[in-house]
Amino acid sequence: MSDLLLLVPFAAVVLLNLLPKRARAAGTWIAFAVLALEAAAAFAERFGYAGEPAWSPLGAVFGFHVAPDGLSGLLLLCAGLVGITALLVAQKTLRETRERFFFANLVLVALVGINGIAMVRDLFSLYVFVEVTAVATFILVALDSFTEGRGTEALEGAWKYILLSVIASVLMLLAVAFLLLSAGDTSLEAARGALAARDPLAWIAIALFLCGLFVKGALVPFHGWLADAYTAAPAPVSVFMAGIVTKASGIFALLRIASSTLNGATPGREILLVVGAVTILVGAFLALSQKNMKRMLAYSSVSQMGYIALALGGDLRLGILAAGLHFFNHAISKAQLFTNAAAIERELGTLDMDQMGGLGSRMPVTAGTSAVATLSIAGLPPLAGFWSKLLIVLALWNVGEYGFAVVAVLASLVTLAYFLSLQRRVFFGKRDERWAAVRETTPGLWVPAVALALVTIALGVGFPFALEILLGGGA
Amino acid sequence: MTQTALLLAIAVPAVAALLTLLVPNRRAPWAPAILAMLVCGFELAVAIYVFPTDFAFAWPWMGFGVDFALRLSRLSAFVFLGIAALSFLVTLYSTVAMAKAPSSRRFHAWVLLTVAFSAGAVLADNLVLFLVFWEGLLVTLFAMIAAGKSRPFATAIKAFVIVGLTDLALMFGVMLTGHLAGTLSMSAIRLPLDGLGAVAFLLLLVGAMGKAGAMPFHSWIPDAAVDAPTPFMALLPGGLEKLLGIYFLARVSLDLFMLSPESWVSPVMMWIGAATILLAVLMALVQKDYKKLLAYHAISQVGYMILGIGTALPVGIVGGLFHMVNNAIYKSSLFLSAGAVEREAGTTDLRELGGLGKSMPITMACFLVAAASISGVPPFNGFFSKELVYDGALERGWIFYAIALGGSFFTAASFLKLGHAAFFGRPADEKRLVKETVREAPWPMLVPMIALAGLCIFFGVWNAVPLEGLIQPAVGAAMEGAHHGTFAGFPTNMLLVGLTGGVLLLAVLNHAFGVRRTGKGLGAVDHIYHAPGLASVYKLQATGALDPYRWLNGTAGVAARILFAIDRAIDWVYQTFASGLALVTSGFLRRLHNGSAPRYILWALAGGLTVVLIALAVVGGGS
Amino acid sequence: MIWFTVLLVLLVLAALWASMASALLRATLALALTSALLAVVLFAFGATLAAVLELSVCAGLITVVLVSVTSLTQPRSLKEQAADRKRRLRRFWPLPFVLIAAGVGLSFVKVPVDIVMRLPAGDGDVRTVLWSLRQLDLFGQILILLAGVFGVLVLFRKEAK
Repeated sequence: MSDLLLLVPFAAVVLLNLLPKRARAAGTWIAFAVLALEAAAAFAERFGYAGEPAWSPLGAVFGFHVAPDGLSGLLLLCAGLVGITALLVAQKTLRETRERFFFANLVLVALVGINGIAMVRDLFSLYVFVEVTAVATFILVALDSFTEGRGTEALEGAWKYILLSVIASVLMLLAVAFLLLSAGDTSLEAARGALAARDPLAWIAIALFLCGLFVKGALVPFHGWLADAYTAAPAPVSVFMAGIVTKASGIFALLRIASSTLNGATPGREILLVVGAVTILVGAFLALSQKNMKRMLAYSSVSQMGYIALALGGDLRLGILAAGLHFFNHAISKAQLFTNAAAIERELGTLDMDQMGGLGSRMPVTAGTSAVATLSIAGLPPLAGFWSKLLIVLALWNVGEYGFAVVAVLASLVTLAYFLSLQRRVFFGKRDERWAAVRETTPGLWVPAVALALVTIALGVGFPFALEILLGGGA
Repeated sequence: MTQTALLLAIAVPAVAALLTLLVPNRRAPWAPAILAMLVCGFELAVAIYVFPTDFAFAWPWMGFGVDFALRLSRLSAFVFLGIAALSFLVTLYSTVAMAKAPSSRRFHAWVLLTVAFSAGAVLADNLVLFLVFWEGLLVTLFAMIAAGKSRPFATAIKAFVIVGLTDLALMFGVMLTGHLAGTLSMSAIRLPLDGLGAVAFLLLLVGAMGKAGAMPFHSWIPDAAVDAPTPFMALLPGGLEKLLGIYFLARVSLDLFMLSPESWVSPVMMWIGAATILLAVLMALVQKDYKKLLAYHAISQVGYMILGIGTALPVGIVGGLFHMVNNAIYKSSLFLSAGAVEREAGTTDLRELGGLGKSMPITMACFLVAAASISGVPPFNGFFSKELVYDGALERGWIFYAIALGGSFFTAASFLKLGHAAFFGRPADEKRLVKETVREAPWPMLVPMIALAGLCIFFGVWNAVPLEGLIQPAVGAAMEGAHHGTFAGFPTNMLLVGLTGGVLLLAVLNHAFGVRRTGKGLGAVDHIYHAPGLASVYKLQATGALDPYRWLNGTAGVAARILFAIDRAIDWVYQTFASGLALVTSGFLRRLHNGSAPRYILWALAGGLTVVLIALAVVGGGS
Repeated sequence: MIWFTVLLVLLVLAALWASMASALLRATLALALTSALLAVVLFAFGATLAAVLELSVCAGLITVVLVSVTSLTQPRSLKEQAADRKRRLRRFWPLPFVLIAAGVGLSFVKVPVDIVMRLPAGDGDVRTVLWSLRQLDLFGQILILLAGVFGVLVLFRKEAK
C-alpha cells in the first residue's frame, strides 16, 4: 500500500505523457481517479494502523523504508480532497488545454512528494520529498506567467518562493549534517535518542531543521514568500497551495517531528510556542489591512499555521489531536475560500475588494459558502473550526501556558474582524453598477465550495461522534 | 421500546409542527387542526403505553455533564399523561374553534411544538436539557399569543418579558444548583436547603412560578385572555403551564432539595401561595369579561398549589399536586366553555350575555360541574384536593387556612355571579341572543368539555384512583419516613368539612343578597366591589397601577438613559481605541512587507539565528 | 592546516564575488570557481566521489546551463551595467565586514558542543548507500528532475502565432 502511494501517481504521470495530444483532456480524469484513490487510501485497512506492518506489494523490488500511520492518513485525506477541488477549479479557470494538462501532471508529481512526506520516518528522506513537492509547486505558481492578460507577477511570486525555499534547504541540510555527526543516523528514532541524551549538537540540528520547516510552512519571520506566491499564482494553484502544499511541507513535518521526536521536551516546546504566537498575531494584523482578496486569505493562512504550531507547544497528546484537527479544518476551509475567490475573479475580473460590494444577492452560493468557511476559521460554534480552536486552547491551558492560551483566544477576535471586513466589503453594502449583471458562477466552481462547506458544518455539528472515530484510528 | 416511544413523543410533534407550516392554507383550512389532533392523539397513546413503567436513559450530548437524559418516574409519567390528554382534547376542540382563523396554520404548528417541548421538559432528567425545552416553551408562548386576533403583539411582548425574566432566574438557579451539586443529572441531585442551596431553590422557585403564573408574575395572563385565541388559553395558562410549573416545583422540592417544615423557605412559599389566592380571587370577583374572570381564577388556583407544596407536609404536598391535576381539568373545561359561548353568542362581555342556559344546555351543564369543582363543592374533585390543602395549611398556621378558606368563599361567589350572568337571567339585548339564533356548540367542542366534566366527577368520587395510584407513590418515594396511610376517600377531619360547607353556604347567601340588591346576576358582588377599603384598591387596579410590569416599564426610561451614557464610553474603547490600534499595527506591518526578496531572506536568517540561540540557551542552561 | 584555512578563505571570497558581480557571465564564472574550490576541499577530506560529483555537476553542468540560459537573454547596455554596479555597491558594501565580524564574534561563543568525528554506522560505501539503503531518496531525486523537465516545458513556450 505504501509503495503504491508513491508509485501510482508516478505511473499516472508517465501515462499522461504517453497519451496523444488530442486525448490530453482525458488526463484530467486520470488525475481525478488518482486523487480519489488517495482520499480513500486514508481509510484503507491495509494501511498500517495500530502497529501492523503496512502492506507493501512491491516490497521485493523496491526497498522503500516507509511507515505510514494514522497521522499519514490525515495528510492523505486532506491531499485527496484539496487536490480534487483544485482540479475542479482548474477546469474552469485555466483557459488553455495545455495549462490544464501541465497542471494535472504537476499536481501528481507534488502528490508523490506529499505522500512521501506523509510516510517517511527519516529526516533526510523528509527533506527530499519536501523538495519534490516544492519544485513541483515552483512550476505551478509560474504556470500561466506568459499567457495573455497575465503579467510576470506569477514569475515574481515563484521566484521569491524559490529563494526562500533555498534558504530552507540550506537550513535543513545543515541540520541533517549535524544530526549525522551527533547520532550517526538520520532516522527519527535516532534523532529522538540523541535529543533524549541532551546532546547539544542534536538540539542545534533539530532547531535548524525546524527553521527550515518554518520557512516551508510560512511561519513568521520566515513567511515573506507566501503572500506574493499565493496572490500571484493562478486560482487553482492557490487552492492547491493553501490547501495542502504549505501545510504538508511545513506543518505536517512539524507534527511528525513533534509526535515522534520531541515528546514535549524543551526547548522544542518553547520555540514552537513563541514562533506560533508571533505568527498568529503578525498574520492576523497583516490580513486586516489588505485590499486584495487573495492576499488577505494568504495572510490569514499564515496566522492559522501559527495556531497549529502553537498547539504543538502545549500538552503533547491533546496538542497533536488539536493540531491535526485544525490542519484538516483549515485545509477544507481555505481550499473552499480560495475556490470562492476563484469564482469571484472569474465573474468580476478583479480581486480588489474596495471595488466590490453588494455581491451577496447576485452570487448567493458563493456568499453563503464563504460565510460558512470564514465563521469556521474564526472559530464560531457549531462549526468545525470552533472545536479545533477549543482543543488548541485546552492543550495550552493543560500545561499551564495561560498567556499563550489568552493570545490564541484574542487573536480569534482579530481573525473575526478581518473576515467580517472581507464579507462586508465583498458581499454586503452597495453594489457598484459594474456588477449589476454579475451572476452566480458556474457549477464547476460552486459545487466543490458547497461540498466543502457541508463537510465543515457536518464535522462541527457531529463533532462528538467524529471524535470517537478520530481517537480510534488516529495519532 | 420505551426509549423509542419517549423519543418519538418528543420528536413526532416537533416534526409535525414543521409539516403543519407546509400545509397550503387555502385549499385545506381544516387540515392543520386535524393534523394537530391526530398527533396529540398519538402522543396520548404513547403516554398511556409507557405509563406504568419506571425508566431512564441517557446519551452523552454536549460534554461537560450535559447529557440527553430522559426519565420516566411515576410523577413525570403521570404529568406527561396529563399533558397529552389535555392537548388532545384541546386540539379536538380547536378543529372547530380555530377553523376560520387566518392564522390557524401557524397556531397549530406552535401548539404541536409546545406539546413536543412540554413532553421534553417533563421527561428530561438533565438540568440543561430541561432548560432548553423550558426556554423553547417561552418562544412558543410568545408566538401563540401573537397569533391571536385584535391587538395581540403588545400582550405577547408583555408575556415574553415577564416569563422571560423568570426564565432568566431559572437559568441562574440551574447553574447554581449544578455548581453546588457537582452534577447536572436531576436524579442525582439532592441538596440541603441552606445558604447557597436556599438561594438556588428560590431562583428555581421563581422560574416555576413564572411559568405557572403566580403573583407577582401574573399580569400577562388576563391580557392574554382577551387577546389570544381561546384554545390557547385553555391549553397553556389553563393547563400545561400549571402542570409544568407545579411539576417542576414538586421535583425541585421533593427530589432536588430536601424541603422540610423547619426550613425558612417553607413559610415564604406559603405566603406567596396565600397572597396569590386572595389577591387574584379579589380581582376575579369584579371582572365583567368571561375570559378575564377565568384568567384571574387560574392565577388564584395556582396559589393553592404553591401553598400546598409549601407546607412541606405530606398531606399538603399531596393536596397541592392533586389540586394541580384537578385545576388542569376544570380550568381548561371552563375556558372551553367560554370559547363555546364566544363562538355561539359572539361575545364574552358579561354585560351583554344572559339566559344562555336555555339554548346551550350541555355547555351549561359542563360549566356547572366545573364551577362546582373549582369552588370546592363535594363530591367533585376540587373539594377533595382543597380539603387536603386546608389540612396541611392549618397544621402550619391558622392564618394560612383562613386565607385559603376566604379564597374559596370569593371563588364560589364569583362563579355564582358568572353562571348567573351568562346562563341565567336575561341578556341585555334580547333580540340578538334569543333561543333561535343561538344554538348549542358543535360536537367537536362539546366532547372535550363533557370528557373533562366527567373527569371532575370521576376524580372526585373515585379519588382513590389518582391519589393512591399516581400522586401518593410519587410523593411517598421522596419523603422519607412519611407513612401516613392514604389520603383517599372522604376527608376525616369533619371540622374542616363543616367549615367548608359553611363557607359555601355563605357564598350562596351572599349571592342571593347581591342579586336582590341590584336586580341582576352580574351585580351580585357589587357590594363587595364598593366596600370601603376594597373600593380604592379596585380603582387602582383598574388603572393598571398595581401591575408590576407597568412599574418595570416606568423605570425602563431612566435606566435606558443611564445605560446609554455608559454605552457610549464603552463604544469609544472598542471602536476608536481598540480598532484604531489594530489598524495602526496592521498598517505598520504592511508597510514593512515591501516585496523585497532580500529583506525577506534577511528576516528568515535572523529568525533562524534567534531560534538556534534559544535552543542553545535552553539546552546549555538545562544540561 | 594553513592550506585549509587559505582554501576556505578563498572559497568565501569567490562566493562573495559571485553574489556581488553585476554581469551575469562574470557571476557564473565566479560560481564555477567556488564549486571548484569546494571540490578541492572535499578532496582534502578524502570524499573523492563527492568531490568528483561536485566538480562535474556544479562546476561543469550547472555552469553550462547557466551560460546557455544567459545567452538567451539580451545583454544590458554598458551604461545600465555601470549604474547597476554602483547601486549594488551602495547596497551591499557592509556585507563583507558583517561577515568577518560575525565570524570573529561567533568564534568567541562558547558552544558547548563536543564534536566527535564519527563515521556513520553501517557500510560507508557510497554505492551501497545510494542504491540499497537510500532508494527512496533516489526516487525522490528522479521526481525532482521530472518536475524540472515540466518546468522547462511550461516556461519555455513557443510564441503564439
